[in-house]
Amino acid sequence: MRKFLLLLALPLFLASPAFALDVSEIVAKASHAAYYQGADGRARVKMEITDKQGRKRTRDFVILRRNVGEGDKDQKFYVYFNRPADVSKTVFMVWKHVGGDDDRWLYLPALDLVKRIAASDERTSFVGSDFFYEDVSGRNTTEDTHELVETTDNYYVVKSTPKKPDLVEFSYYKSYIHKTSFIPVKIEFYDKNGEKYREAAAEKVDTIQGYSTVTQGSMSDLRSGSKTVLTYSTVQYDIGLPDDIFTERYLRTPPTDYLKK
Amino acid sequence: MLVLSQAASNKPKTFMWAGILISVLFILGVALPTLLPQQVSFLPPLSIDTDPENMLSSDEPVRVFHNDRKKEYSLYDMIVVGVVNKTDPQGVFNPQSLKNIYDLGEYARGLVWEGKNGPEGVIGAEMISPSNVDNIEQAGMGTVRFEWLMKSPPDTQEEAQRIYDKAANLPFLKDTLVSGDGKAMALYIPISAKNLSYEIANKLRAKIATFKGNDEYHITGLPIAQDTFGVEMFIQMAISAPLAMLLIFLLMWYFFKSVKLIVAPMIVAMVSVIVTMGALVMTGHTVHIMSSMIPVFIMPIAVLDAVHILSDFFDAYPRFKDRRKAVAHVMEELNSPMLYTSLTTAAGFGSLAFTPIPPVQIFGIFIAFGVAMAWLFTVTLVPAYIMLMSEKSLEGFGLAHHGEDEHPSSPLAKLLQVMGPFTYTHAKSVLAVTVVLFGVSAYGISKIQINDNPVKWFAEGHEIRVADKELNARFAGTYMAFLELRPAVDTKKAFADALWQALDQDSGPQAKILKDKLPALNDVNAVKDYISGQMDAAADDEAYDAWDALATLVDETYGRFEIFKHPDMLRYVGALQQYLLKTDLVGKSNALPDIVKTVHRELFLGKEDAFRIPDTQNAVAQTLITYQNSHRPNDLWHFTTPDYDKTVLWIQLKSGDNKDMNRVIKAVDAFLAQNKAPVALERNWFGLTYINTVWQDKMVSGMLESFLGSFVIVLLMMIFLFRSLTWGLLSMVPLTVTIAFIYGIIGLIGKDYDMPVAVLSSLSLGLAVDYAIHFLARSREAARKHGVWKDTIGAVFGEPARAIARNVIVIGMGFTPLLFAPLVPYKTVGFFISAILLFAGIATLLILPAIITVFEQFLFKRKDA
Repeated sequence: MRKFLLLLALPLFLASPAFALDVSEIVAKASHAAYYQGADGRARVKMEITDKQGRKRTRDFVILRRNVGEGDKDQKFYVYFNRPADVSKTVFMVWKHVGGDDDRWLYLPALDLVKRIAASDERTSFVGSDFFYEDVSGRNTTEDTHELVETTDNYYVVKSTPKKPDLVEFSYYKSYIHKTSFIPVKIEFYDKNGEKYREAAAEKVDTIQGYSTVTQGSMSDLRSGSKTVLTYSTVQYDIGLPDDIFTERYLRTPPTDYLKK
Repeated sequence: MLVLSQAASNKPKTFMWAGILISVLFILGVALPTLLPQQVSFLPPLSIDTDPENMLSSDEPVRVFHNDRKKEYSLYDMIVVGVVNKTDPQGVFNPQSLKNIYDLGEYARGLVWEGKNGPEGVIGAEMISPSNVDNIEQAGMGTVRFEWLMKSPPDTQEEAQRIYDKAANLPFLKDTLVSGDGKAMALYIPISAKNLSYEIANKLRAKIATFKGNDEYHITGLPIAQDTFGVEMFIQMAISAPLAMLLIFLLMWYFFKSVKLIVAPMIVAMVSVIVTMGALVMTGHTVHIMSSMIPVFIMPIAVLDAVHILSDFFDAYPRFKDRRKAVAHVMEELNSPMLYTSLTTAAGFGSLAFTPIPPVQIFGIFIAFGVAMAWLFTVTLVPAYIMLMSEKSLEGFGLAHHGEDEHPSSPLAKLLQVMGPFTYTHAKSVLAVTVVLFGVSAYGISKIQINDNPVKWFAEGHEIRVADKELNARFAGTYMAFLELRPAVDTKKAFADALWQALDQDSGPQAKILKDKLPALNDVNAVKDYISGQMDAAADDEAYDAWDALATLVDETYGRFEIFKHPDMLRYVGALQQYLLKTDLVGKSNALPDIVKTVHRELFLGKEDAFRIPDTQNAVAQTLITYQNSHRPNDLWHFTTPDYDKTVLWIQLKSGDNKDMNRVIKAVDAFLAQNKAPVALERNWFGLTYINTVWQDKMVSGMLESFLGSFVIVLLMMIFLFRSLTWGLLSMVPLTVTIAFIYGIIGLIGKDYDMPVAVLSSLSLGLAVDYAIHFLARSREAARKHGVWKDTIGAVFGEPARAIARNVIVIGMGFTPLLFAPLVPYKTVGFFISAILLFAGIATLLILPAIITVFEQFLFKRKDA
């Protein structure tokens, strides 16, 4: 379910509120809307991290995504950094496995180094932002138990509680899922004392190639006062990304054709 | 001012009642607003300030800078909790101890509550505890892993040991979180405000009390020391001051044998203290470490004059057998010396108002005020009190000593009767010894070490001292200082110039547009936002690509001025760190190069030879972006700013002595002077350990100036009092010798010149001159009667000398209870007050008569002429 880094395939007819949906369907559709739309997709992303003191850091990257097979299962991501200039050509690649730990790679061109990053904990920062790795690739819906706590005019409010609370820093999170687009418009994370400490928001949603697409999303760390905003431009779906782009070989020699505008 | 005393003698009841009324009013003036703040909101309540930082005014540049940088680098004052296990061979690295540590860490993290300005308490996210810091390590097959060092307590001994091994492999944690010997651990608990530390420490102690096992817990850190001191200071004042009072009472009882009579000086002291402290609180001043000592200083001064009156009365009463006549006689005789002694004492303390340290100013002003009050109450309440006693109750008073002027019977009187002639017969020897002592003192003074350390304000054996010792023996140090390095030039301007040049060389139409726009764009973010807008609005791919290229150009240009990403700058900082380690003053420093080297090593299979700064800025940047994939990416911003324009070294010192901090400062300056940085740097210090050195410097120079100032003022007053330059100078001799001697001893025994010692110079000035005034005034009076000095000596060493000697003993002894105080500044004050009084008394009774003997012709002839 969560995040808007990637996009969607949400034919609108699916979202008819006439059906009474059960919570697992809502969660599945939200996950689809946030991560699985189209067979593949790409976007240029501008990441702006603003800390409590108002200091800004920006990162510009291109993200490529390809679904593996049907049915919202495994996926592959390729994140290519353009700026800051001194990390340009750095690549971060993920093979997301719904059934097990993800595979993650980092390519550092200045060190001429491809490193795998152990998947033991996905709730670490994504390149210094307020987003976690897991927010980028999507948390498996099976890791939590979901409960529909409220249905408003526009949203399903779903409370998700981790099955293995020891592995995560939150005790539960609440998603506000839009009833027609199934975009999770807001997600609130609560700590062990029941305090909200982290909040994701879809700040702008556009329809692109028929898919409801988050074109601006943010994550706020309420404790540190830091906020990261992702702005997506030139979003495209179903571009026919070849599978072999998402391999170690392409870390060192980026698939330039797909990374240019 | 005799009028006052006469009035008091005539209407003793009115005066006594007035004294009681004034005291009650002042007590209520403090108690009511404190106990009923809402109802009595027009008066300020009693507020206590235990923060030594307030030795500097809050707008002092060093404090402004300190607070500014704490905010900028998200740094907090820290409580350090050390855990040691001396029974387990593995130290604390066993499952039980680690479970305790884990629980304590999690408990500490929860100590947050809603305060007036948002959450306060422990800053959980910035805590350094095993469950709250990241480990970076190899995970096989070219894989690097970020994980919480101790996500949950280990079940087995092997796992426990692994936690040590992991932490010891990370320079950031070794000797900071885990001790080098692999036996102990230290948790660093950042808190939102220093004055919460005592409360938080108590909560931690309560939690610790529930733990099983043989772990020893030590809680320390400067905030703890400072806050605890504040709390204990009041307990201390509540015990020591009354105890001193009691001892003074007992000694007076011994000398004057009449409980009823000696209640008088006690009343004077009490009322003076009440009025002074009441005035302090009612005028809205906080009770600070300095001002809490006001009662201790006022008491001897207040008692001093009353003792003179009593002593005189004690000797005069048997002659007059009439209290009114005796009192009138005594007051007449003492009027002028008492007024002058009070004026000089007030001047001595009043001069502190000109020091640059706010709490010292308040201290000086209110003691001066208290001295004035003490004088007022002495000249009114003591006579009034005596008049209220019935003649009957005075019967037999002083009788045992009747006629003692001719036949001294008490040991003290006997001693003085020997001493007087001795100063006459051995005048030159006395002066010779004085000169020698003065020389030795001068040498001692040259050896004085200016130093202070708030942790050492606790007596040896206090749990804070024990913790301090234990932890600093095992870890890199519990004292924190922060060194900021920044380029000497304005990099923002340099960037703007460089960008301008780069755009100038770019012939593209977009570059021209940007160049024209540049003056309107404030900073790099504005430039980036502008380009970003142009990219969104680009008409075609060509324009888009051109703007994209410009975005990269801006970024590249900007990167050149991110100087703490430059490998050579990082190596320079690394070299400074190495150099600091060699000074033996610094246990460890944590800085940006450590992060870069550690991550670089782990990227290259954890091999030791990869523990280095990579060779290019891009490589550094990519190492840092890898680091930012951890749980705590923002730890980076403790060490640099997001524009990499400044860097901070977190320096751990094993000693919080100002002299050691000063040596570190010197060492850094020497390094910076001898080693040219690739980009010229400026350095700035902050952190509590550093701030202490700043107020110490101010204190030392401020005290010296104020002392010299008051010396001159007192001298002028003496010249005026005696209407003679020579007699004025003469009266300054005992205090000059006393101060020289006291500070000479301080230098010789190696006692640090610290806060209380600095303040003592004023006390010496105020008290020592008193004896001289009494002695000389009465000597001159006696000399008029007896003609030659030889004959005068006997009379002077009768009652006047006894009054001085009694004073010395009563007050000098009275302050010995402070020696048993658990807080060192009070001990110091207690010891030196006694020493000053004793020495000033001796100096007055030996040196003055010896000088008069030698220069008799000159002194008296001059006067007569």
